[in-house]
Amino acid sequence: MRLTQGTFSFLPDLTDRQIRDQIQYCLDQGWALSVEYTDDPHPRNTYWEMYGNPMFDLRDATGVMAEVASCRTTFPGQYIKVNAFDATRGVESLKLSFIVNRPDREPGFGLSRQEAEGRHIRYAVHSYATDRPAGERYG
Amino acid sequence: MTVQTDRTATHDTPPESNARYRSGVMEYARMGYWDPDYEPKDTDILALFRITPQEGVDPIEAAAAVAGESSTATWTVVWTDRLTAADVYRAKAYRVEPVPNSPDQHFAWIAYDLDLFEPGSIANLTASIIGNVFGFKAISALRLEDMRIPVAYVKTFPGPPTGITVERERLDKYGRPLLGATVKPKLGLSGRNYGRVVYEALKGGLDFTKDDENINSQPFMHWRDRFLYGMEAVNRASAATGEVKGHYLNVTGATMEDMYERAEFARDLGSIVVMIDLVIGYTAIQSMSAWARRNDMILHLHRAGASTYTRQRSHGVSFRVIAKWMRLAGVDHLHAGTVVGKLEGDPNTVQGFYNVLREPHNPIDLARGIFFEQDWASLRRVMPVASGGIHAGQMHQLLTYLGDDVVLQFGGGTIGHPMGIQAGATANRVALEAMVLARNEGRDIWNEGPEILADAARTCTPLRAALDTWGEVTFDYTSTDTPDFIPTATPA
Amino acid sequence: MMTTAVPSDEAGVESDEANLDLDLGAALSASPIEALLATLDAELIGLVPVKTRIREIAALLLVEKLRGRAGLSSGPPSLHMSFTGNPGTGKTTIALRMAEILHSLGYVRKGHLVAVTRDDLVGQFIGHTAPKTREVLKRAMGGVLFIDEAYFLYRPENERDYGQEAIEILLQVMENQRDDLVVILAGYRDRMDRFFQSNPGMNSRIAHHVDFPDYTPDELGAIAGLMLEQLQYRLSPDAGRALTEYIERRRTQPHFSNARSIRNALDRARLRQANRLFSDRGATALTRDELMTLEAADIRASRVFEIPEDEGG
Repeated sequence: MRLTQGTFSFLPDLTDRQIRDQIQYCLDQGWALSVEYTDDPHPRNTYWEMYGNPMFDLRDATGVMAEVASCRTTFPGQYIKVNAFDATRGVESLKLSFIVNRPDREPGFGLSRQEAEGRHIRYAVHSYATDRPAGERYG
Repeated sequence: MTVQTDRTATHDTPPESNARYRSGVMEYARMGYWDPDYEPKDTDILALFRITPQEGVDPIEAAAAVAGESSTATWTVVWTDRLTAADVYRAKAYRVEPVPNSPDQHFAWIAYDLDLFEPGSIANLTASIIGNVFGFKAISALRLEDMRIPVAYVKTFPGPPTGITVERERLDKYGRPLLGATVKPKLGLSGRNYGRVVYEALKGGLDFTKDDENINSQPFMHWRDRFLYGMEAVNRASAATGEVKGHYLNVTGATMEDMYERAEFARDLGSIVVMIDLVIGYTAIQSMSAWARRNDMILHLHRAGASTYTRQRSHGVSFRVIAKWMRLAGVDHLHAGTVVGKLEGDPNTVQGFYNVLREPHNPIDLARGIFFEQDWASLRRVMPVASGGIHAGQMHQLLTYLGDDVVLQFGGGTIGHPMGIQAGATANRVALEAMVLARNEGRDIWNEGPEILADAARTCTPLRAALDTWGEVTFDYTSTDTPDFIPTATPA
Repeated sequence: MMTTAVPSDEAGVESDEANLDLDLGAALSASPIEALLATLDAELIGLVPVKTRIREIAALLLVEKLRGRAGLSSGPPSLHMSFTGNPGTGKTTIALRMAEILHSLGYVRKGHLVAVTRDDLVGQFIGHTAPKTREVLKRAMGGVLFIDEAYFLYRPENERDYGQEAIEILLQVMENQRDDLVVILAGYRDRMDRFFQSNPGMNSRIAHHVDFPDYTPDELGAIAGLMLEQLQYRLSPDAGRALTEYIERRRTQPHFSNARSIRNALDRARLRQANRLFSDRGATALTRDELMTLEAADIRASRVFEIPEDEGG
C-alpha cells in the first residue's frame, strides 16, 4: 500500500528541488518548519518523533533541507514529514505537512471488527509495522 | 390596514412626548423610529435592509416602518409604551440611501438595542428581524442584506463545535482544500450499495463522502442500514490508505428525538461527522450544535431550502446573513457556493460569504457585499463547502476563488467518472495536489492551470480521462445575487 | 564543490560573440548595483578607502557574472570577507549594504544580515556548541552572517574551549556551501590579524580584507551635522566651535568609538538642552528656533572638557 497522509501523497514522490520549493514557500509565509519521523504511521498517531525543535526565523530553505537530509541519513527506512506551523492568532496550527521519506515496503494496516449487540460493530485499525518491535520495523 | 403617510411631514422634528402618545395612527418616523442623528452603540445590533417602498411611500417613512415593525411598534399608538423605557427599545433607522442603479430601492440602516434579544438564541433574533416585517404592506419588497452582531451578543453563542483549525488537526490534513463527494443517485440505493460508493470514493482519495439532504430514512434504505454500511466503508478506506476519513451521516429526522437517536448511533459507530439540513430550523440546529460539542463531532450543515429566500435580490435574506447566523448557531461546515459550478454564485458575493464564515474579523467590503465591520471575537471558523457541478478541470479556478479552507465536493465529478468511482476520486485528488504544489512554487495557476493539469495527467490516467470527459463543461449563467458596489479603479 | 566552466545550456551561443552582452556599462546600469553604490556614497561620510574596496568587489563580482555568460572560466568566487577597524567606523552598516549588493548580483538568495557574537555560536557545555552554531547558520542561509569580534571564538589559553568547535563548523560551511551564505568576520585590526595567524584555515577562506580607518575630525564633524539634520536639531555658531573642540579632545581619550561616540555625545547634548529649556522657562512660550538649537553650554558641560588635553590618549 501507499500511505497517503500529507499534502502531496498522491503525486509521485517529490524531488529535493520540489521539497525545497515548498519549504521556501512556507518560510516566505513566515511559518516555522519542523521535521518529524516515525515507524508507526497509524492514522491516529498524532505525535511522530521530533527531529529537533521547530526552526524559527529562517529565511532560506537550505537550513531545513539540511535537517531533512540529516534525518534521512539517520532514519532511512522510516516515514519522515516536514511540517509548517503558523502562529497567527486564530490558526496557531499546521498550515502544511507533507511526507519527504517513506520506507521501501509499506505494510499498511489491517481492520479488525468486533460485533456487538444490534448489528453494532466496533472497528480498530491496526498498523502491521507494529507487529515487530521498534527498531526492527521496515528492516 | 395601510398606514397613510403624510409626505410633507418633516422627519427631523422630534415629536413632543404628549403628542407622541396621543391615540391614533402616526407615521413611524414621527414615532421615533427614524433618528438621523443616532450614533450606533458598540453593543447595538445593526441591520441593513434593502427596501422597495410601495409607490408613493417616502423611503424614510418606509425605513422607519421597518424599524418599528421589527422592534416594538404596532400599527397604532399604544399607551402601554409609556410603562417602558420605550426610547431604548425602539429600533432606530438612522440612515437611508438610494441603491446605486436601482431607482425604486433604498438601503436602510437600522440599530437595535442589545436588550431586545434573548442571549444565544437565533430563533429570537430572527423572530424580530425577519418576523412580521417582511409581509408589511407599505413596502412591496424587503431584503435583509447584512447584519453587524456586536461582540457582546456574539459572546452569548458558543459557536462552531469544532472549527476549521481543530477539524484539520483531527483529520491530520493541512495545506489544501478537503475533498468530498455526495453519494449519487440521491435516492433509491440500498444500504449495501450505498456503502460501496462511499468505500470506492474514500479509498480513491477523497476525505469525505456525504449523504444528500433528502436522504433520511426511506423505504429503500432505513437510516440504520445506511449508517452501518457507511461506517464499514469509512473504516475500510481508512485502513486502506492510512488516512482519517469521514462520511457525513445525515441525522435529519422528523423530531429532535429521532435526530438525537441517529446522532448517538453515528457516534457509537465511530463517525467523526454528522450532518443536518437547514430546514430543521434554527432551534434544532442549535440543539444539534450543543450535542456535537458534547460529543466532539464535526457538524455539517446542508443549506437545503436557503435559496427560497436568499436568491432574489429584492426580497428575502442575503445568504451572508444566514452565514453569520449559522456561525453563531454553531455549525462546522456550511454550503456556501462554488462560483464556477451549477448553482447560483457571483464570485465577489460568494467570496463575501466565505469571508464571513472563516475570517476572525470582517472589514467593510462593499465589493463583496459586506456592509458592516464584524468582529467575531474568537468564535471558531466555519469550513465552507463548495458543492454542485464542479469537476477536476476547474481546479485552478476553484483554488484561486475559494482558497485552501474549503471542502470541494465533486459528486457527479467523482461518481460519474468513466473509469469508475475510485478513478474519479483519484483524478480529483491528483488535480488538487498538483495545483497546490504549483501554486506554492509560485506559478500563475489562473493562467497556467490547464497546462498544470495536463502535466499531472501524464502520470495519472484517471485525471486524463476526467479532463477528456468534463474539460469543457461550464455553467455560464448570469448571477441574480450580485454586489451593488462595483469597485472602480482609482486614477494612478 | 566543482563547477563546470561552461554551463551546458549556454554552450550553443558560446561561439557567437555578437550575441553576447559584454558591455560592462550596460550591464552595470541594468543592475541596481550603481544605485546601491550611489546610496552608499551619499549615506556614509568619508570611508573613502572602504567605498573603493566595496566598489572593486562589486565590479569583480559583476565581471565574474559577465565572464560566466561569455563562457569564460568563472568558478563561484569566494566571497567571505573580513572587516577590520575600530568601533564605530561603519562595519555593520557596510555589511548591511554588502548583503544588498550581493543579493542584487544574485550571489545570495535573500540578502538579509544575521549579526552575531561568540555568545550566539558557542555553548557552555559539551555538545551545546554544534546545535547553537547550526541554528545560527540555518537562520543566515541565503544571506550574510556577520560575526562581530570574531577572534573571541578562539581562546588559545584554554585548549578545551568550545569556540574551536564553532570555528570548525564555520569553516566547513564556508568551504562547502559558498552558494548558500557569505560570512563576514569583523573586529579590531590587530586582534584579527593574530586570529588569522593562529587560524590559517580561516585566513585562506577569506577572499576580501577590508580595513576601516578611523574618521578624521572633519569627517566626524560632518557625521554630527548629518545626524543633527536627521533629528531636526542645529548648532549655534558657538556650539559648532565647541563641538569641533569636543571632537579633538574626545578622539584622544580612551574608549573612543568614532561615529558611535558622536551619536552618544549628541544624545547627551539633547538631554542638557532639554533640561536647560525646562529650568530657564519664562513667561513667554518657547520658539521653534529655541527648541531646535543646541548651545555651546550643552556641549561644553561634557566631562570630556574636564580632562586636561595633554592627559588624554
